[in-house]
Amino acid sequence: MTLAAASDIVGASNKRRRPVGLLLVALPVLLVGWMVIYPIVAAVITTIWRPDANGRYGISFGTYQFFFSDGYSLANLSLTLWTTVLCAIFLVIICLPIALYLRFAKGRLAAYVQGLAIFPLFVPSIILSYAFIRVLGPNGMVDILLNAVHLPKIRSPYLTPWGPLIGLVWDNIPLTVLILIAGLGSVSDASIEAARDVGARSWQVLVHIILPRIGNSILVAVSFSVLGIFSAFTLPYVLGPAAPEMMGPFMQRTFRDLYDPPNAITQAVIAFLFCIVFGLFYVRSVVKNQRGR
Amino acid sequence: MKRRDFMISAAAAAAGMTVLPKMAFAEANRIDWYTSSDQNVLDFWTNIVKPKFEAANPGVTLNLVDGGDNAGLQAIAERAVAAMASKADPQADFFEGFDARQPAGALDAGLWVDFSTAGLSNYSKINPLALDIPQNLPYRGSQVLLAYDTTKLAPADVPKTFADLIAWIKANPGQFIYNRPNKGGSGGNFVRRAIYEANGKDPAKFTVGNYTKEAGDAALNPAWDILKDLASSLMDQGAYTSGNTQSIQLLGQSAVTMIPAWSDQALSAIKSGVLPETTGLVQLQDLGFPGGFARDTIPVNGLNKDAALKLADFILSEEIQSAVLTELGGFPGVSWDYVSSELREKFKDVIPASIPVFPGGDWEKAINESWYRNVAPNVDPAS
Repeated sequence: MTLAAASDIVGASNKRRRPVGLLLVALPVLLVGWMVIYPIVAAVITTIWRPDANGRYGISFGTYQFFFSDGYSLANLSLTLWTTVLCAIFLVIICLPIALYLRFAKGRLAAYVQGLAIFPLFVPSIILSYAFIRVLGPNGMVDILLNAVHLPKIRSPYLTPWGPLIGLVWDNIPLTVLILIAGLGSVSDASIEAARDVGARSWQVLVHIILPRIGNSILVAVSFSVLGIFSAFTLPYVLGPAAPEMMGPFMQRTFRDLYDPPNAITQAVIAFLFCIVFGLFYVRSVVKNQRGR
Repeated sequence: MKRRDFMISAAAAAAGMTVLPKMAFAEANRIDWYTSSDQNVLDFWTNIVKPKFEAANPGVTLNLVDGGDNAGLQAIAERAVAAMASKADPQADFFEGFDARQPAGALDAGLWVDFSTAGLSNYSKINPLALDIPQNLPYRGSQVLLAYDTTKLAPADVPKTFADLIAWIKANPGQFIYNRPNKGGSGGNFVRRAIYEANGKDPAKFTVGNYTKEAGDAALNPAWDILKDLASSLMDQGAYTSGNTQSIQLLGQSAVTMIPAWSDQALSAIKSGVLPETTGLVQLQDLGFPGGFARDTIPVNGLNKDAALKLADFILSEEIQSAVLTELGGFPGVSWDYVSSELREKFKDVIPASIPVFPGGDWEKAINESWYRNVAPNVDPAS
């Protein structure tokens, strides 16, 4: 019995591995098909295949025409793009130095910095939102500290577009830092030492040795954060202004408070089209990486 | 068996186990009670109503179950409708915070007890303002009122009419904020009060069924003019919080002097220290801010219907109704004459002369949409 079982492992398994392997990926593939691909196709069809005034179904771009001719909707879209682009820029500016420091620094301080940089990962965004009001809101902690040293109050970013922007940047630091650190792992100490040996200065090492090697990681980090930020809900909802609103709260309000699924789905499809551009960046860089190997 | 195969079958078995039906039966003399309300209401029942009721009715126990939300209670009510058809046991005796108009068809099928003929000794005490259809038993209410900082505004100077309120907001720019009407009832009912103001203060003009595009524009546009005019005098020249809680937080941080707030939320915020002791509450005297009542329903086919009716009568007693005021921070469901005179004196500023109830449905949708398009964009985001 034991022998037979053992020989089974060695012998027959090669023939059987393929169907079992396919079976194992079948579940996730089916789930993706059922819960991601199908809803996308269904959503696009719902927004295009619509009844006209007489109730006859046909191809109609009415909801898209409405969205792109409606100043209110366009203001929401442009606020979302503004927030997303600024967030991406701030994230790179803030996270690249942190990642560089963590890549090259050793010792206890670096461990603390790393812990601090990863910390936002463990803070739910609803908690972050209320903490933000306490700290940066009117008469919040910052105002109290400023007042203690006889300085004027700040103009609170709460309920302005800068509120969600600051919150989203803070919230996305860990993911960006982690991806950048992983990318910096591919920069070997040897190549940096070699550059230094031929007299390269720090910024020359950064521009000519490090950045070319982690360009891909920056792209991946940015597209990851952008995907999350574009459809962010909680932070823009709690911290942002009433109007214009970001696409996340706008979609939710259209769907739940206006009972208007066709327009909500149209907004979702438009958001999806913007996100797919960044998704393609990511896919392209993954493919490039795999070819490189 | 290979490890991989073992993992697959083990996972399948585990998944299968979770879908096995859980067996549950209703018990005699145990009232199966479900709520759609928040934790504070469940706590009120657990700590106040249950011990008092069980002490008064030896042998009867209360099984308090959090049904989650209205959708959760609907699912249980649908089970009761199905049980009625098959003469089975619905395993539910009492619904807290529900509306007998749900689920569709239940009212016609006669699922719910008609309280007006159920022989409750306290039924006649119910506040006539709260009565709805006889299958709904109102027992606690809340209404939006004004919460303000008495250290900055003396109670004698507090506005008592909506016109006074508008004048006060304009005279004290930056000291008032309300939340977006779809993000919480405190701002929502402030906006609805402005709609009443623009329409002759007559709540009767608005019913669930009478919304049309023309009537909506005619009724709402003057209200938007009032609110647009007000925007530059609000906090940050026209900021709107995204919920009841955030408005309370701003009042607590002394960033503003006055906000509209739910009576129960404001009272419990004062009790828990979120709002300071110096917070004052006041209701407008010309026409109150809109509000609403939480209602209970009892299915006719519950195993413990008689005990459930006893419970319904019990929660209308003076003891529980006073506790609704003091412990829950809600309004009593009975007329104010039936709470102790001491409490009546203490809460005289918030006792409403009227509790207007603004209809939902199409009106709600129109308000949610056109407030955003007409009032909110006046905010200059960069200001």
